[in-house]
Amino acid sequence: MTEERFWLLTSLELSGEISPEERAELEHFLADHPVWRLRFNQLQSTWQQRPASSGTRSLSFNKHLQRLSNHLSEDTLQYESADIQIQPETPVVEEVVSPPAPVRRLYKRMAWVAGIAASLVLGWFFAGPLLLGKDKSASAAQNTISTKRGSKSKVQLPDGTQVWLNADSRITYNENFQGSLREVQLSGEAYFDVVRDEERPFVIHTNVIDIKVLGTAFNVRSYADEQNTETSLVRGSVEVTLRNHPEKKFTLKPNDKLIINNEQAGPVAESVKKDPERTTSKQIVLTWGKINYPSKADTVATEAMWTRNKLAFDKESLEEIALKIERWYDVKVVIADEAMKKTEFSIIIEDESLQQVMEALRVAGKFHYSINKKEVTIRP
Amino acid sequence: MRAYEELYNRFFDGLHRFAFSFVKSNEVAEEIVSDVFIKIWQIRNRLSEVENLKVYLYTIARNFSLNYIQRIYKHPPVSLDELDVMPVVEMGNPEEMLISAETLRSLRQVIQELPPQCRLIFQLVKEEGLRYKEVADILQVSPLTVRNQLAIAVRRLGQALPMIQSAGAVTAVSAGSLKKS
Repeated sequence: MTEERFWLLTSLELSGEISPEERAELEHFLADHPVWRLRFNQLQSTWQQRPASSGTRSLSFNKHLQRLSNHLSEDTLQYESADIQIQPETPVVEEVVSPPAPVRRLYKRMAWVAGIAASLVLGWFFAGPLLLGKDKSASAAQNTISTKRGSKSKVQLPDGTQVWLNADSRITYNENFQGSLREVQLSGEAYFDVVRDEERPFVIHTNVIDIKVLGTAFNVRSYADEQNTETSLVRGSVEVTLRNHPEKKFTLKPNDKLIINNEQAGPVAESVKKDPERTTSKQIVLTWGKINYPSKADTVATEAMWTRNKLAFDKESLEEIALKIERWYDVKVVIADEAMKKTEFSIIIEDESLQQVMEALRVAGKFHYSINKKEVTIRP
Repeated sequence: MRAYEELYNRFFDGLHRFAFSFVKSNEVAEEIVSDVFIKIWQIRNRLSEVENLKVYLYTIARNFSLNYIQRIYKHPPVSLDELDVMPVVEMGNPEEMLISAETLRSLRQVIQELPPQCRLIFQLVKEEGLRYKEVADILQVSPLTVRNQLAIAVRRLGQALPMIQSAGAVTAVSAGSLKKS
């Protein structure tokens, strides 16, 4: 056997392209030549090393979805209906016991599709919508639409109302929206563009407030782990009622922003008209302000920037920003220094990677940071 | 969407490595992979007509990578072999294998010095586990070229390994059991 022949057979064996005859030839030669067998074995063990996974794929997929959604501006529904998980509402404990369970179930069902053979993956593109559709119609009275950390989505409710759902948020509504009210339960942040229907008012329930609307566009931010619940009105008019004091009603006009302290909303409800002095005092449960437009030319308010894939911070403390980044990119942000937490930033960042956002903040805040997989550490 | 995500996750690393070989930037490579999947999303209803999805994905990634290179270079290379391709090949840790750290270094060196097309073929076959026919389709060369180029890559790698006699002495001259071709 020539040396060239040996290497050809070896390469065929390693790549799995060898024929039975060629393999017999190689085996026969190796059996007679232990020195070459050793060489062959070394090469084989080298060959079998597999590249490590990059480990950033889920981040990268979310980034990809954002890019994808930008490419589908006129064809948004396709993307949105797929990104969300529509699941039958199960009893309240579901959330506590095992939040990922329904997702897993769907995942499992899909797993065969996404399995080994690429051709099988294709199957989903036809079977997927059917399965989802079935899931939907099989649901009980309520539908839940939720987003994970690091992802956003847009949905259309049965009445035509458009809802943009920010990361780590959830809305629940009665299927088909029957009854005299169109009611939606929200936790997290959502931007609503409500279809006008004076016969059937649209009501949004959060833990702290109820918002009644006729037809309008506005943003509601009500994360359980944040201090305040914010309602920002872009157009139309809404009526906000405190959950614990239904007699207290606040009517918002376009560009009004109502901030309610979650903890203190219970005992007292006091209306304060845009008073910077008093907003710093401890007793304030409610602040009435204006929504922000970054500049005169902007048609999108800071509060609604996220619906355009922009991360916007308006005089927000590093602590608050950290929370937003955690949800946006599905990472953990640790601020190593207490004093730094209160530093304020105003920045708008469009469609950028975590690294670029941190870089922008670093330059503005003159701090140091490190990103280790899914954990960001900020230190002076 | 689940399946779409699965598909993305399944092919991301491989396509990213492949695109990176051409564009040599993590960010650009990631954008190229993202564009590949936007493309896939756009034609999802016609995907059944695609014979081999894997080949299709790599082919789009190749085209997008080459488009990118055409755009940024003043005098874009005309053939694959004129491209300066960066190898992204995993050789593992010496402890896990039967070779020394020094040998590992020389293996890396060998890969580095392979002609660009040969390197790409080696990478696609070894790292991505593609068949010769698939690599041939992606790179638009003949399967025989893939076969020959891979044999060259393997020979050069093999020759970089020390010859070890059964007694344990390391010597390169005792390769006399084979006729030099």
